[in-house]
Parts: sequence; C-alpha cells; structure tokens
Amino acid sequence: MQRILVVVLLGLLASGLLSCSRGGAQEVVVYTSVDQVFSEPIFRAFERETGIAVRAVFDTEETKSTGVLNRLIAEARSPRTDVFWSGDPVRPFVLINHGLVEAYISPSATAIPPSFKAADGTWTGFAARARVLLVNKHRVPSQDTPRSIEDLANPRWKGQAAMANPLFGTTTMHVAALFATWGEARAGRFLEQVKANNVRIASSNGEVKRLVIAGESAFGLLDSDDATDALNAGVAVEVVYPDQDTLGTLVMPTAVVLIRGGPHPQNGRKLIDYLLSPDVEARMAGTAGHMPLRSTVPTPAHVRPVSALRMMPADYSRVTSEIERIQPWLRNWVGL
Amino acid sequence: MAPELGRSVRTSLKRLEEPLALYSVGVVLCLVALVPFLFLVGELVVGGPKAMSQSLAIVTSFRLQRLFLDSFGLALAVTVLSLLVGVPMGVLLGKTDVAGRSLALLLYAFPIFVPPFLLALGWFYLLGHQGFVGNERTAAVLFSPFGAVAVLSLNFAPIVTMFVAIGLQGIDQTLEEAARLVAPPWRVVTHILLPLIWPAVATAALVVFALAFSELAVPMFLRVPNYPAAILARLSGMQYDPGEAFALVLPLLGLSLILLLIERRFLGERSFEVFGLHSIEAWTMPLKSWKPLMSPVCWFLALFSITPLMALAVRASDGGFPAVFQWIGSSPGYSLLFGSISATVIVMIGLVAGRAVARKTRGSRYCDAIAVLAFVAPASVLGVGLIAVWSHPATQFVYGSMVIVILGLIARYGVIGIRTLAATIAQSSPHLEESAAAFGAGFFRRMTQILLPMHWRGVVAAWLLALVFCLRDLDTVILFYPPGMETLTIRIFTLEANGPEAVVAALALLHILLTVGALGAGAALLLRGRPR
Repeated sequence: MQRILVVVLLGLLASGLLSCSRGGAQEVVVYTSVDQVFSEPIFRAFERETGIAVRAVFDTEETKSTGVLNRLIAEARSPRTDVFWSGDPVRPFVLINHGLVEAYISPSATAIPPSFKAADGTWTGFAARARVLLVNKHRVPSQDTPRSIEDLANPRWKGQAAMANPLFGTTTMHVAALFATWGEARAGRFLEQVKANNVRIASSNGEVKRLVIAGESAFGLLDSDDATDALNAGVAVEVVYPDQDTLGTLVMPTAVVLIRGGPHPQNGRKLIDYLLSPDVEARMAGTAGHMPLRSTVPTPAHVRPVSALRMMPADYSRVTSEIERIQPWLRNWVGL
Repeated sequence: MAPELGRSVRTSLKRLEEPLALYSVGVVLCLVALVPFLFLVGELVVGGPKAMSQSLAIVTSFRLQRLFLDSFGLALAVTVLSLLVGVPMGVLLGKTDVAGRSLALLLYAFPIFVPPFLLALGWFYLLGHQGFVGNERTAAVLFSPFGAVAVLSLNFAPIVTMFVAIGLQGIDQTLEEAARLVAPPWRVVTHILLPLIWPAVATAALVVFALAFSELAVPMFLRVPNYPAAILARLSGMQYDPGEAFALVLPLLGLSLILLLIERRFLGERSFEVFGLHSIEAWTMPLKSWKPLMSPVCWFLALFSITPLMALAVRASDGGFPAVFQWIGSSPGYSLLFGSISATVIVMIGLVAGRAVARKTRGSRYCDAIAVLAFVAPASVLGVGLIAVWSHPATQFVYGSMVIVILGLIARYGVIGIRTLAATIAQSSPHLEESAAAFGAGFFRRMTQILLPMHWRGVVAAWLLALVFCLRDLDTVILFYPPGMETLTIRIFTLEANGPEAVVAALALLHILLTVGALGAGAALLLRGRPR
C-alpha cells in the first residue's frame, strides 16, 4: 500500500511539473470579462478548429471587467496574456493608456463600422450590448413602465429600483458616459437624486437581474445580455431600451486587443481573427443576446438591431478619461 | 586519524540534521506565509507620506469602519451560534449513547468539507424566491445578515462539534471515573469534562471566527456587505491601486495579530494536552430516559446540516448531469493535482514542525505562530501579499505557473499539518527517539524508521485533512490562479452568476463527490490493518 501511495504521489508531482512546463507554441492565453458561459464555448470551438489550446482567465460577476483588467496591469512588467477580450469598449483604452496594447488590424474586422474600432488597430469592437431597463411586469403596470434612465431618480419609484455598483463593470462606463454627455453638474445632480431615491445598489448586473426577477425591485438598469437571460428564463419581465426619444441608449461593443509582449503573439492574432469573424458574432447574438455590428450578420428576433436604435453619443476614449477622472467622486458617492 | 575525523564529521552532521530541517521549514513558512504580509507593509511605506495619509483617510472613513464592524459582528454572531449548537452536539455525539451516533456525526460534520458558498447555493435553491419551498419571506431572510449568519453557522458549527468530541475522547479516564463516583453524569459533563476541554472549545471558536471573518463568497452571494469583499472590490476597481488595498488590509492584519496573540497567550501551550488520544476505551455516557428525545434532535440537526446538499442534488437532477461534462473542463483534475501536491508538502512541513511543536523544540513556536497567522488572516490579505511578492518578471516561473497556487495553499493550510501531526506525535513517548539517537540514529532516520511507521495513520489523516481543505478553497487562489488552470470551486463560482442553474448544481455535487471519494479512500486506508 505504501508503494502504491508513493507511486500515486510521484505521478501527481510529475503531472504537476508537466503542467508547470506547459508553455509551448500551440497555446494562447486570454483574459476575458465576457461571461464564461458565453465565451468558453467559443474558445473551445477555436481549439477544435485550429488545434491551439486556449488558456483563459474569467472574471467573477462581481468584479466584472476590472478584475482581469487589474490583473493585466499588475502583470505589466512581465505580461503573461496574449489577448484581452473585454465586455465593453473602455477597458481597452485603459490598457492603451498603460502602453500594454500592440496594434493589430485584423482582416476579419473589415466589415465592422469604423465607429466601433480604432483606425490604428489598437482595439476592435464587435457583438455589442446595450444598457437597458429590466421591468418586472407583476410589479409595474404596463402604462407605468419606466422609459428613461432618469426614472431611477423619479420619486414615483422611490426604493423600488436597482442598479449595479458604478465603481465596477459596465455601470462605470454608463455613468462616465453620462458625465461626458450631460456634463459634471447635471450628471452629478442626477446621481445624487438616484441616491436620495433609495435606488438599491447591487454588487453586479447579474444581481440586478435577480432582484428584478424575484420582484424585490420593480425595475433595474443592466446590460441587454442579462435582460435576454431573464427573458429566456420565461419570467414576466419586459426589456426597455431607454431614452429612445431623448438621450438615446448606450451601446457597448465587446472589444478585443492584442497584448504587447504576450508570450504567443501569433496565436493571439489568430484568436483575434477568429473572435472577429461573422460566425462568432452571429453566435454571440444567438446565445448571448448581443447585437451584431455588421449588417450581414443576422440579428435574432429577441434582439433589437443596432440600426433600429437611437444610440447615445459616446466617444469611448473620452468616456475612459471620464471614468478615471470621476473615480474619487464615485468612490465618495458609493461610500468607499 | 582519517576514519576518526570522518566519524566526527558524520556525527556533527547528524546533530545538525534536526536544526537544519526545522530551519528549512521555518524559511519555507516565512517565504510563503510571513513575507507576503511584510510586503504589504513595505508597499505602503514605499508609497511615502502622501500615500500613507491617503490610505489613512480611506481606512478611517466612516463607511469602511462600519463595514469592518459589520464583518466583525457577523463573525462574532457566527462564532456564538456555532458554539451554542456545536458544543452540545459535540457532547451528545462524542460522549453519549445517541442512537446511530457515528453515522449522525458523519452526516452532521460533512458540511465542514464543503465550500460554504455551495451550501449557500443549496439554501438558495431551497429558500430562494423561486426555491423548492421558497417564497418572498424566506428569500428575504436568506438574503440578509441573518441568513448569512445562519448559513455560515451551519457550516462551521460542526467544527466546534468535532473539537469538542475529540477533546472529550482525549480526557484522562481516571478523572472521569473519580467524578462519576460522586456526581451524576450531567454534572460530570458540565463541571468536569467541559471545563477540562475549554482550550479545545476556545481554539474551535478562534478557528470559526477566523473562517467567518475571512469568508468572501457567502456574504457576496447573499448580498451582505462585508470587509473582505470591500478589499476584493478595491483591487478590482477601475483605478487599480494596490497601495490603497494594502491600507485596507492593515486593520485585518491587526485583527489577525490579535487573534494570534490570544491563541498564543491562552491556548498555544495547552491545546495539545486535550487533543491527545490518551484513552482508546472512552466512557460512553448513557442518556437513559433522555435518549428518545436527544436521538431525534441529533438526527434532525444532522439531516438539517445536509439539507442544502440534497437541494443541490434535486436541482442538478433537472438536466444538470448530462450537460456537466460540457462545462467541467479540467477543473477536477486541477483541484486534485493542486490539492494533492499541497497536502503532501503540508504534511512534510507538518512532520518536521509538528514534531518540534510536540517536543517543544526551540524555535518551533515561531513556525507554528507563522502558520497560525496565515490561517487566521483573511484569505484576500494573504492573496494580495502573495501577488505583491511573486508577480515580477524574475519570478514568473512561480507566478506564471501552478507553483503560486501551491504556495498559496501551503501558506493558508500549513497549520493543519503542523497541528494535526503535533497532536499525533505528542501521543508517543520521546524516549523512543532518544534511545535511537543514543545509538547514533540521525533525525531523518528516526523520522522515517520510528515516527512514520508509528504514526502513519496520523500522517494519512493529516494529508487527507489538508487535501480536503485545499479542495474546498476558493478565497485564496481565486486572486491568482494561472490561466486555464482554474479549480472546480473557481469554475463553479465564475459560472454561478450566468451559467445554467442545474449545471452549476451538478458541478457543486461533483465537487462534493470528489471530497467524499477522497475521504472514503482515506478512511479505507486508515481502517486497513487497524487493531481489533
């Protein structure tokens, strides 16, 4: 028995060492803040098609977008990542500002509209989401359905609405876009009114979805993929694309960047080409409720086409600057 | 001349074996479990006065102070509730003739080996708004501080029970017999046995408090704001500022040191006296007329303890099992790999340091104290420290590989090896080793030819215990696991928010089966060749 134990332990140690030394050319390392449930099947499909193994780090829902982003920054002195697939278009700008991005113009990105990609190839967007309102139909009569994000501050809904912590995830981007569009005075006033209106601050968009589905909140501000998820669950909810007559709805493409100095740059480019392909965009639309940016990619029935939306004007580079600028203000607002 | 010189050198080297082994273990423990904390302090000092004053402002902000107090209150409530439930259960299942007490103890204690957030998930499937027996009110209770306290207490109370049960087994029979001559059984328990095992109860309370205070996943899942989550959030904010995160860590470091001092001052010397297995034939207290009442109570609590696991099973049966292999990846393999290697190193460290602690060798207390510090400190603190130490270009062979995970697990759970093996080795007389030493046996020879054969069951038990704790770990490794090498607990956690519920439940069950398998294999090994 002792010999068997020794053999088993040696076997485990050997396989461990093999795992340690794994770092050959036929692999690519990707960090992503796109939901694992959607991104992982795409990585597996890439592996099947190319034979290149994908080693991924996924974000947890609560730290979405910034967990892996900060890991990338923390590892900047010795990058171990080839590709960052961001759930929104502003995080790539943080990496660009840190000098961590290698420009790459992918041949797969030709048909993507110029407003959703950088001319110099530092980032490329595809498969977008929108910031929407998810409304619980049991709690809200159809005639009262909120139609604007400003309803978060409406006393009619005091204590009945929810949004995610604006220090994290796509809510950060949304708030920064408001500061960029409305100006500091109006955006600040709006957020103070939101606070005074006892809007529930959830740890993530997924939690906002749960709160609305459970009826704990009448409506909430979240991403369209979360809303699609709620619709697919068959619960009595309605998805509202807000401010279609005024400000417009914020649209956020997912975005890929090539990391400078990554261990497998060639495979990183191959993965980017694959991710930007129309097939993957169609798959993101079908399974994850994302909006295709290319007119040639079909939009599923349950997803609103980008062309049919009044979009909120958003210069992603400026929004990134706003995010960094308003951090102290936001921390104070959140109380951290 | 030459042979004499050679003999003299060999003798000197043999004498050096023990201190060298202990120093080596000390160096390893310092590197993995102490240096990370020192780095945190260093990062703050390097930032200069401006960074220090900024950090001070953050730490002293009202919101964070309140979060800290909330977390403190939560951990305290969990500890008190765990003691209230765990101590009586320890007495009942460890000392009395409750019907089927071995099986009841096994069922009741099983949640110890399950990551707390899986239990929270199970309770969610049961009591959530759309749970099997859930409604708006049950969901409101579950998603509240009360729910978090209840879930964590159910997870941690068995720890107290096990400490009490083992402590009761270790009490000198002569004391019990003397007491039974003059007092009824319940007075023996309340006036003799419980006072005798108070160090075990106090140690259990400290362990529960430390685990509850550092728990990240359950409060996050149940939407209860807590301090460790605030640190994680700080490290995940848009403007990554490790200096500020380190500042947030300082109050936790202070609390960890206080816990360590309490442990050292009041319990460090006494713990092993009661953990021993002095008697094999322990007295079983007859419950007599109380048996028909107490047996159902124990069984109710045992079944209640595993209720969330049953809820997971029911949820998983709704289409989760067929899809599980699509989502599982290599995570069970990595869990077992990381756990096995870490448990092996933990046992190796435990053999040297645990033996030194049992024999009260000079310097052993420092090794033990470092290991205890890393265990009682919140996992996020240790994680941040490990990143600060190892995330550099020159140390990518560590940070860029599974080695960082192994280091994290060794740091976090090293104390399990040290304490378990110290308790085991303390049962054997040092004279055996002294006799061998007198005949020229060096430290390693005594270790391999006396201690290991004599205590192999204790060694296997320590390895199993360390393995199970490594398997259930989430909070330590989630901060730095290498790309593509996530453990099963990480996979469940990252899939939990948006993954199919039935699949997540099935993955959770698989994790439980993995643990049961490891424990079952270990139990079979331990029972093999046991004297009857």
